[in-house]
Parts: sequence; structure tokens; C-alpha cells
Amino acid sequence: MLTVLLVDDDAEFTEVACTIIEFLGHEVLTASSLEEARDWLKKETFDHILLDFMLPDGSGAHLFDELNALPKSPRVTLITGHPSVKSVIKGLCGPNIDYLVKPIQREDLELVLSGKPQGKSKKEESIKQHFGLLIGESAPMKELYKLIERVSRTSANVMLLGESGVGKEVVAAAIHKASESEGPYVATNCGAFSKELIGSELFGHEKGAFTGAVGRKEGVFEQAEGGTLFLDEITEMPIDMQPNLLRVLENKVVIRVGGTKTTPVNCRVVSATNRTMEEIAQSKVLREDIYFRLAVFPITIPPLRDRKEDIPLLARRFMEEFNAENGANFTWKDSQLDTLQAYDWPGNVRELRHFVHRAAIMSDPEKSAIELPKTIESPFAQKQSTSPSLQAGRTIEDVEKELIYATLDKVSGNKTTAAEMLGISTKTLYNRLHAYGDLSKDEQ
Amino acid sequence: MNEDALQKLSKYVHDARKPLNRISMQAELIKMALNGDVPAEKALVALDKIIASTKDCSATLSELTSEFSNTHVE
Repeated sequence: MLTVLLVDDDAEFTEVACTIIEFLGHEVLTASSLEEARDWLKKETFDHILLDFMLPDGSGAHLFDELNALPKSPRVTLITGHPSVKSVIKGLCGPNIDYLVKPIQREDLELVLSGKPQGKSKKEESIKQHFGLLIGESAPMKELYKLIERVSRTSANVMLLGESGVGKEVVAAAIHKASESEGPYVATNCGAFSKELIGSELFGHEKGAFTGAVGRKEGVFEQAEGGTLFLDEITEMPIDMQPNLLRVLENKVVIRVGGTKTTPVNCRVVSATNRTMEEIAQSKVLREDIYFRLAVFPITIPPLRDRKEDIPLLARRFMEEFNAENGANFTWKDSQLDTLQAYDWPGNVRELRHFVHRAAIMSDPEKSAIELPKTIESPFAQKQSTSPSLQAGRTIEDVEKELIYATLDKVSGNKTTAAEMLGISTKTLYNRLHAYGDLSKDEQ
Repeated sequence: MNEDALQKLSKYVHDARKPLNRISMQAELIKMALNGDVPAEKALVALDKIIASTKDCSATLSELTSEFSNTHVE
């Protein structure tokens, strides 16, 4: 607890400021002029003085010498209306003095009374988190924010489509947050449960419903009452369980496994899959009737390579997180951010985050410089980058390599068949593979 | 703008910033009242004071406009 003297001639301001300072746990006395302030300084010892620059009987700066002459000189915060006065004050003041510019907020008072240096926290705020969760200022992300905003005003079920690692769960949480619903956000992964257990996870079970069901359990539909239920990897749900899910979506009631009573449920279902809409339609992993129930409002989340301008923002944010968790002070060099931006990130934001943390762990904790690993590619990168994606900006050599590997994959590595499909001689195929360094000597 | 006019303008800006500072602090008080940190009645009083401050600020800006339009005419 500090003893604070607030010197300001605006009675309304001092009254509210006192309430706030007292709430922050400090004792506060007030003076409305230099004269009153001098009186208090004779009678009391203060830890901190909040001093208006313009007082009826002169400038607050007149008190500086007297304060320095005190046996225990307090910290001083000058309150000024003019941002330009800052530089003048800086010249006048020693290390014990800082300043606040009107209009003042509670956090300004909190900051100066805590004695922490100002400015740092404001710099960190520069990376905006949309819906408190999502980072990115690129056009595809702005479009995504618009869709989230729109769907959050309705109760429609949402299906999130996007490659692995794009942040589908984060978008689901953002939709929940933007909806301002009363109920909770409950997430579950449909691919994580066996056929036997998924019914109990989704709809709950009654005591004794099956071996091991020692008590009654609420399913996730009941848990998410009035809120949002996130069903990740919905296309991994066993197809014979899907009619049960359809019944819940259509009738808005659940029957627990082993029970007979229906329980009404009311929640928004946000589902997610890393398959494309075409794949879902062709591969029959999701019944058509379920698809239409779940994908009332489908949202495709862009891969990171389509919003490369967001990579530096994300990298900075992930490094800030690492610094805060580990008490480190790593900072990126512009050239390093350029390197990150040039890469395609087939594993998307998840891969970037993993890479940033790996780089931080490998760097010298005593320094602020980050040492980038020599290669960015993760073991998953090659596999994922072979997915068909013809885009301008890639070299013919690169696309050719991808096509050769995709063909070999398709024919289980049979080079004669692959060469035939590619319309080249087997010798040419061998030469190419050799050039890629992907052929052992005995195979030649 | 000459030195004299600049001084006059600074005075008006100072006077206009005073109610803005009051508004900012009263808004913080309302936030505290909504959090239950201070009695709820304080929020109502604070809202009235915010309204009064907006009028003060507006009056200062009107004074400034008329002062400077007169100067301009002269």
C-alpha cells in the first residue's frame, strides 16, 4: 500500500480518481493548489505524488526542488493536458519522475502506481486479436471475420472446412465468443473415440448401460446446453453412428445410452473436417442428410500460404507467448521474418507455431537473437505439399517433381507403369529421381 | 497563426480537455460499478456527470469557434 498525494484543482476529477486509487489499495490525500500541497508535505510522508502541471497558483514543476530536498523523496507523476509538454518535462525531470497525459484511464493510474516502466505493454498490443483469438489482417482473414460476425448473430449450425493446422478449433471458439451465448463452449473429437464409446460421449449414458458405466454421465450435447458444441473431425465418425446424430440434430432431443427418457438439447453445433467439400461428397464418409444439417453455413478457412502477409504477425505473437511463458526476451530480425514468409507452410499455423517454439528453444536464452534452424521443413511437409495445388509463381521443375512423386504414389512405386503414365521413358524417370537424390545406387 | 492566437487556442484546448478527462474517469467508475466494485448508484450519478461534461466540452468548442471567426472577420 502506498500513501499518495493527488494535487489537482479539478474537484470532480480528484473525487473519482480518489475512489479508483483507494480501490487499488492505496491511501490518498488531495490538494487543489501548490499551497495546499506544501501544507501536506510538512505534515505527512508520501510515497507517490500525482501532480497537475497547471495549478491556480503556478506550475506543478515549482514543487520539484522542494520534493528533492525531502529526506525521503517520493516518486512523482506529472499530469499534463499537452502531449508536447512531455519532452520539456523529460528534460527537467530526473529518473524519479514520469508523466500522464489527459484524458486519464484507470490502467494509467494502475501502471504509474505499480512503478513499472510505461510503454512496453502498449507496444505489445499492436497485434490485434480479432474476437480475442484470431490473428491476421489479410484480405482472406477479413472475409473470414465478416462470416463469423454474420453467423454469430444467427443460431445456424456451422461446418468449418480447411486443411490440417489452419485453426479450425480457434475459429469455432471465436464463433462461440462472438455469439455471446449464455451456455458453455464444449469441444470433442469424433475421431478420438471407438465406435462403442462415441455414443456415450455424444449423448451420455445411464448407470449400468454397459460394462464400466458405473454412474450416469451427461453427453456433450447436454453439457453444451445454451452454448456451442464443437465436433472436430466429423468425417471420422463411424457411418453407422451417424443416424443417431441425425436424430438429435432433427428432433433436438437426446436419449442417453441405456436410457429411455428424452432430454431436450439446445446448442449450436460447429463441426470441422480437413476434407474438401468434393471429397466429402465423393468418399461417402458423411451421410448427405447429416451434411445438410451440419453445414447450414459452411466456412472454408484459408491455408497459411494464401495469407502470407499474416506470417510475420503470427510469428511475432507466438514468440511473445514463448517469451512470456519462459521469461525470455527473443526478438525477430526482419530478414528472419522474410525467410518465414517465403515458405509455404503445408502444416499451416500449427506448423509455424511449432517451428517458432522450436527456434526459441534452440536459441541462446541469454541473448535476444533467435537462431533459425537450417531447414524449415517438417517430416509432414513433403507429404502434404504433394497435394494437387497448381499455382502461379511455382517453377516447372518444382511442379514436375510433384507430378512424378504423385504418379509413383498412385502406382505404388512401380517405375515402369509410372513412366508410361507420365509419357516419358523409364530412363528419363530414373534420371529425374537420381537428380532429386531419391534413388539408391542398386536401384539404377 | 501568430503567437497571441496560438496562446488563445491552447487555452481553449486546455478547457476542452478538462471535461474529457472527467468523462474518462467517470466511465472508469461506471465500469467498476458494473463489476460490483463500488455501489451501483454511483454509476447513475457518474452518467449524469458525463452528460454534463459533454455539454461543457461542447460549450468550450462553440466559444472557440466564435472567438476565432470574430478574429478572422477583424
